[in-house]
Amino acid sequence: MFESFSSLMYGFSIALDPINLFYVFIGVFAGTIIGMLPGLGPISALALMIPITFSMDPSSGLILMAGVYYGAIFGGSTSSILLNAPGVAGTVATSFDGYPMARQGKAGKALAIAAYASFVGGTISVIGLMLIAPLLSKVAVSFGPPEYFALMILGLTAVVSLSDKSLVKGLIAAVFGMMVSIVGIDLQTGTERYTFNSLNMLDGIDFLVVALGVFALAEVFVMLLRGDDNKGEKRKAIGSLKLSGAEVKEIAGPVGRSSVLGFFIGVLPGAGATIGSFLGYSMEKRIAKDGDTFGKGNIKGVAAPEAANNAACGGSFVPLLTLGVPGSGTTAVLLGALLVMGVTPGPMMMETRPDVFWGVIASMYIGNVFLLALNLPFIPLIAKILDAPRPLLLAMILIFCMVGVYGMNFNIFDLVMLLVFGLIGLVMRLYGFPAAPMILGLILGALMEESMRRALQISGGDWSIFIDKPISLWLLVIALLSLTAPSLKKLYQKARTARA
Amino acid sequence: MTRINHNQVLAVILGLFSIVYLWMAFQIPTFPIPRPVDSDAFPKALGSAILLLSIFLFFEKAGEKTIEVEDKGHVGFSFTSPRMQVVVTSVGVLAYAFLIEPLGFVLASSLLMFLLAIYYGYRAWLTNLATTLGIVLSLYFVMTRAVGVHLPPGILPF
Repeated sequence: MFESFSSLMYGFSIALDPINLFYVFIGVFAGTIIGMLPGLGPISALALMIPITFSMDPSSGLILMAGVYYGAIFGGSTSSILLNAPGVAGTVATSFDGYPMARQGKAGKALAIAAYASFVGGTISVIGLMLIAPLLSKVAVSFGPPEYFALMILGLTAVVSLSDKSLVKGLIAAVFGMMVSIVGIDLQTGTERYTFNSLNMLDGIDFLVVALGVFALAEVFVMLLRGDDNKGEKRKAIGSLKLSGAEVKEIAGPVGRSSVLGFFIGVLPGAGATIGSFLGYSMEKRIAKDGDTFGKGNIKGVAAPEAANNAACGGSFVPLLTLGVPGSGTTAVLLGALLVMGVTPGPMMMETRPDVFWGVIASMYIGNVFLLALNLPFIPLIAKILDAPRPLLLAMILIFCMVGVYGMNFNIFDLVMLLVFGLIGLVMRLYGFPAAPMILGLILGALMEESMRRALQISGGDWSIFIDKPISLWLLVIALLSLTAPSLKKLYQKARTARA
Repeated sequence: MTRINHNQVLAVILGLFSIVYLWMAFQIPTFPIPRPVDSDAFPKALGSAILLLSIFLFFEKAGEKTIEVEDKGHVGFSFTSPRMQVVVTSVGVLAYAFLIEPLGFVLASSLLMFLLAIYYGYRAWLTNLATTLGIVLSLYFVMTRAVGVHLPPGILPF
């Protein structure tokens, strides 16, 4: 415990460096603005910011990205509350009571509650991360290739099974992501795979091209197809941001409970902010004496999902930093960014890159303080971005996507691929294929293959190595259960109704 | 006769894709030194998985399309219909890809952003021009001077 505390102090010494403080501020600010734009969530925000981190020191780069992540979630809450148009899925639950509050002229109050609840949620998750991460790292040191392979399978299946769309489509998206990940030269044998003899494909397809294509560019296409326009939207005045003592007392319980719940949900692969916020909301609705006023502007209905989604963000860093395995599309993009910066997260990261590990944890805390101290007072001003003409915004997002992709390798082929993946992303959106499993498949595909091959090399080609190792076996069983549980539940319910 | 739904169309396309993918996986050369798992194993597994999943998809109940295309007021061919906007934007991205190096980042980006905003229906030309130049120039100077990412100057002297 003391060791963690002194390490955190070391992290603070890194995060409080003036340049890193500046990056946290920029990250939180940019994340808030991007997250506020309907359709553009943390994944797009992170992907759009990656080019800025190219030349940065990894700890500064990840500090900036953590700020963007938090900011994007908070920005999503802002558009949920003000427009009933959640920028991200994780803030949908916030709109249930946040928007009715805004319609009652209490938008300022709802935004303040969102900021305070996010702050507490974020803080509790940082404490949780600080306590759990070192323990998990110690366990994960004993993981070999079979365990890692099984863990990655579990990460993928969990994301697929928890996405609200079809299981088959989720699996197709994940496998397609893996197919993209293996394009290029196989590093173990030097063999070319799916390069079509093109020099541009030898190094594979960069994840940033795919992430910006299937998320940001596809979102531009979707907005064009929907004919989204903000001309007719008239927002009420934001109103006072102040909370009374009684209101603070009223939200204290829901914020505390939802923060703890959100953190543990975030740690689980596949769950994350969306499920955390919905569970936080429904838990408070059930507990509250005035549960029937939820959905009509109850302040607890804003506080609970906000605390939970921010705590889940912190929780999702646990598997990323300690196991090197992302549990969600967003942390997959973060992992991609880290790999670009030359940092491989995993159980040894605390030893090899303590500056990155503890710097990020400390910066998450500072990011929360920034969210509260800077974003809240400026929110009426920042909210003006929602009034910006949609045509200009769309054209601007396009330029940001393209400069991000071009700035990576200065190769026009990447721009063409951006378009290809933008169109693929559009088709996926049109026909209900979730994009997060694809990004996760893309990031994990190559790592999975490497683990699989290493494991089989150890066993001399004997596939039973994956079930001989108890941890690997359990992880695979859980993965299988996560995929089959929804169907089994349906069958069980059918059988019960038939019997009745 | 039952009409084929969009899941079935996609399943057929994916099935064909997986067959081509698998055929290509079988063409991957064997590594001279024998190893338990060669470069072709993972692609073969992935191709087979997509083939299997496409069969499942074929028999899955198709839901509604998840996005409603806003086609009101666009009867017949319209250059500004939402579908056409996607096509024009795609052509714009392609044109940008081929013009960024000869024209330079500032000029190519300004042209694309300004023209697309007009095409999407933004009529305040002066605001459009000022915003476009403000954003593109800020982006250019941040990337080239602060971040150290070299963007092509093209025909402009800076």
